Amino acid sequence: MTELQASIFGALTGSLFALMAVGLSMLWGFLKIINLAHFAMILLGGYLTVDLASRLGMSPVATILITAPLMFLIGALVQAGFDRFGVSELNSLLISYGLLIVTVQIVTNVWTADFQRMSPDINPLSLQSVAIGPFVFPMPTLLAAGFGTVLVFGAHLVLERTYAGRALQAFGQDRQIASAFGIDHRTLGLVLAGTAGASAAIAGMLFAVGEPLTPDSPFEWIGRVFAIVILGGIGNVTGTLYAGVLVGAISGLVSVLWSPSAAPLAVFSLVVLALVFRPNGLFPRKAGH
Amino acid sequence: MRKRSWVAPTAVALGLVATPVLWEITRFPVFYLVFVSGILFWAAQATSWNILSGYSGYFSFGQGAFFGVGVYTMAVLFGRHGWNWLFVVLLGGVAAMLLAAGIGAIAFRLRSLRGEIFALLTLAVPFILAAVVRLVDVIDGGQGIVVPVPAFPEAVAPFQRFYFVISAVVALLALTAAYLMQNNRYGWALFAVRDDEDVAEGLGVPTFFHKMIAIGINGLIGGMSGAVVALNLGFVSVEGTFNLRVPLFVIVMSVLGGRNHWAGPLVGAVYIHTLQNRLADAGFDGWSLIVLGTVLVLLMILAPDGLMSRFSRRPWQVSAAFVLVLAGLAMFGTWGEPVDWVAAALAAAAIVAFLPGRGVSPAQRGVSSVGLGESRAFGEAMKTRGENWTPEPVVTATDVAKSFGGVDALRGVSITVHEGELVGLVGPNGSGKTTLVNLLSGALRPTSGSIRLAGAEIVRLPPHQIAHLGIARTYQIPRPFSSLTVRDNIAVAIMFGREPKSLAESRAEAEEFLMLVGLTDLADVRPEQVNLHERQLLEMARAMATRPSLLLLDEALAGLNPVEIDNAVAVVRRIHGSGVSIVLVEHLLRVVIQLATRVIVLDQGRQLAEGTADVVLRDPAVVTAYMGKESHAPGD
Repeated sequence: MTELQASIFGALTGSLFALMAVGLSMLWGFLKIINLAHFAMILLGGYLTVDLASRLGMSPVATILITAPLMFLIGALVQAGFDRFGVSELNSLLISYGLLIVTVQIVTNVWTADFQRMSPDINPLSLQSVAIGPFVFPMPTLLAAGFGTVLVFGAHLVLERTYAGRALQAFGQDRQIASAFGIDHRTLGLVLAGTAGASAAIAGMLFAVGEPLTPDSPFEWIGRVFAIVILGGIGNVTGTLYAGVLVGAISGLVSVLWSPSAAPLAVFSLVVLALVFRPNGLFPRKAGH
Repeated sequence: MRKRSWVAPTAVALGLVATPVLWEITRFPVFYLVFVSGILFWAAQATSWNILSGYSGYFSFGQGAFFGVGVYTMAVLFGRHGWNWLFVVLLGGVAAMLLAAGIGAIAFRLRSLRGEIFALLTLAVPFILAAVVRLVDVIDGGQGIVVPVPAFPEAVAPFQRFYFVISAVVALLALTAAYLMQNNRYGWALFAVRDDEDVAEGLGVPTFFHKMIAIGINGLIGGMSGAVVALNLGFVSVEGTFNLRVPLFVIVMSVLGGRNHWAGPLVGAVYIHTLQNRLADAGFDGWSLIVLGTVLVLLMILAPDGLMSRFSRRPWQVSAAFVLVLAGLAMFGTWGEPVDWVAAALAAAAIVAFLPGRGVSPAQRGVSSVGLGESRAFGEAMKTRGENWTPEPVVTATDVAKSFGGVDALRGVSITVHEGELVGLVGPNGSGKTTLVNLLSGALRPTSGSIRLAGAEIVRLPPHQIAHLGIARTYQIPRPFSSLTVRDNIAVAIMFGREPKSLAESRAEAEEFLMLVGLTDLADVRPEQVNLHERQLLEMARAMATRPSLLLLDEALAGLNPVEIDNAVAVVRRIHGSGVSIVLVEHLLRVVIQLATRVIVLDQGRQLAEGTADVVLRDPAVVTAYMGKESHAPGD
């Protein structure tokens, strides 16, 4: 029973990590940019949520009304820079690593290196929980799972059903051909990167509602998030969600059965196996339509 | 750099010069000893990182893992159990090397694992290690470990002086390894991997082996340096060890100094450590990561090639700026202390290096014509053969098929190429010609079927072994090693041929192949400076330099003008005349008719026709495949 509870709980948490991963995965797949600064935006989003809720008394969830547009701008700005200088895939990794380090240090200087969390009176969600059948789930986890699932499926629908989404997919498959057919990759790229930034802000809020933040949090996320990106298939939106749930469930299960420290090892091994046997991700999209 | 025989003496001479200089430094006041020891530590870390990530282009964020293994080996075995520290330094290196070999064995085996994914995997390793170290009580258990001051000889007292000496030894080891590799086959194999790994493998470079060597050296030196620094730390903790400093610093230092040069990371270490030191001195401790992160971003965008390449462009101006500023400040002596003077002099040197303007630019390429040099080495081997000579099969492919996902590119093709043949392989787009070339050269493995080279099965062999057995290829779109000159592109193929040769021997032997294709005049320019035709000739020369028995030319004449085509045809004739069998994939039927002794037509992954050119190209089935069903055979 504990095992089941742990894996369901892990799966729910996993969809939050899937939300963190989906922006990265789309930028990597469609724009050939590996943006470590995405983690910086999640971190900033989280800290801003804590700050706005604590100082202005806003509801933590409502802070995304401010943080999401802000991160949209930052994400688009970073992408504009990458585009302007024609940055390659590998160089984008290095440059955004620099941006991440700078952000982490700024966050440390502004908010100190100590844990930050909202007190229960400004974040009543943290005390609530919901009983479903024999299981009890904390409210923040359910909230994260709800947001994560809805947003990822929303992104999937936009990609499949709209002109912009299809244009992006075309661009991801062959940039030159897509450009020759009149796809304005600049604007699309900016909108995509901005949206990824906004999703980072939401992920940051969801994390801050449930867990304490430190400036080093990004480095705890990176391993798991990239595992989800690779397992889900780079640029594969729904695959990212499934991979997030899978990775979460496995982490939860391994933590209970063995030890929490073994969870990264299990996930890491899964990634290596997947790279050997399923290099296009665990959930490849069907060829054609 | 010109001759191999210079390398060892130069290294020895460098050591002989460096030792007294370093010994003189050991008499410095303790403050400066500590400062220079810091530079030496970072030089060792960054140089070891650069041997893998700079030379081979496989970017690692995992330096902290090798460093951390070294630190904790020292902390546990010396700090807790009191083993001999010198022995533990070696053990720390070996332990990190084993970890590196483990990472390499997984990461480099995976064909799907591109550089970006390798980088991300290495990003995860230090965090996993940190989790393990924190939880395992035998190692740390989250409490941290005290490392006492080791016993050291009186001659190098006080401790700072002793620590300086061992730091210098490790740094010299790292720099020597980097220097030697830049001038020998181990380094050149990595340069080839960095420029184009598939081509390197196809020319006979055992890429997996060389990447393992590189990551092994990276681990060994990173671990030894970590073990040494643990002696200086006094107290070791998970947070202090597995953090961002090491991976960030080694990357920034190497990028700043220059990743293509053995001394680049050293130059970067001098700059960054001095900058760090001055920032801390001015009370900006919390700013150093912000400054370094910004420096990394700006460098990657504005000057990714680093300082070393800029220094070498105007060496005198840079040295003059450094010496003048240093001497000037020292003479007036009114501002700051010696470290400030050095910092200012370094800044002046960097400013001069980065000033706009050409400096001494690399030799401009003059107008050159491709002369058809006489090839004496390649006699007309065919003529020496007797009348009764019966050709043996060189390569025999039996019923080979290849499918990609659900798409059948080849559906069971059997071909044999005999000694002395020049087989034209033709067919419409998508008929499977290039796939067949990829299967024969080992770049792809067939889904089914057998390929025998001189009687031996080669289907499961890695491409570099197939190259050594005698199959060479060219690429439709030329893929030269962009960081090497035309001559060195050929030299790499000779160096990693069937019989290993030194760099100097290979360069000398490359002349023969430059002459074969008529590129002697362009030997010392970079491939980007020559035109498409010349690059295609380079492809052929490089392939011939592996001394193949079978040469696969994949549309080696695509995109050429008529004059260039005639020249290329002459070169192919000459190669064929030297006794090499050739498979020529070509769209230009004129060329095929001129050259081929036999023609094979592929269509939709199957063999459609085979025979002499004039017969095959009149075959109605062939005409239909080319022109579509509506057309009729061309009437005479």
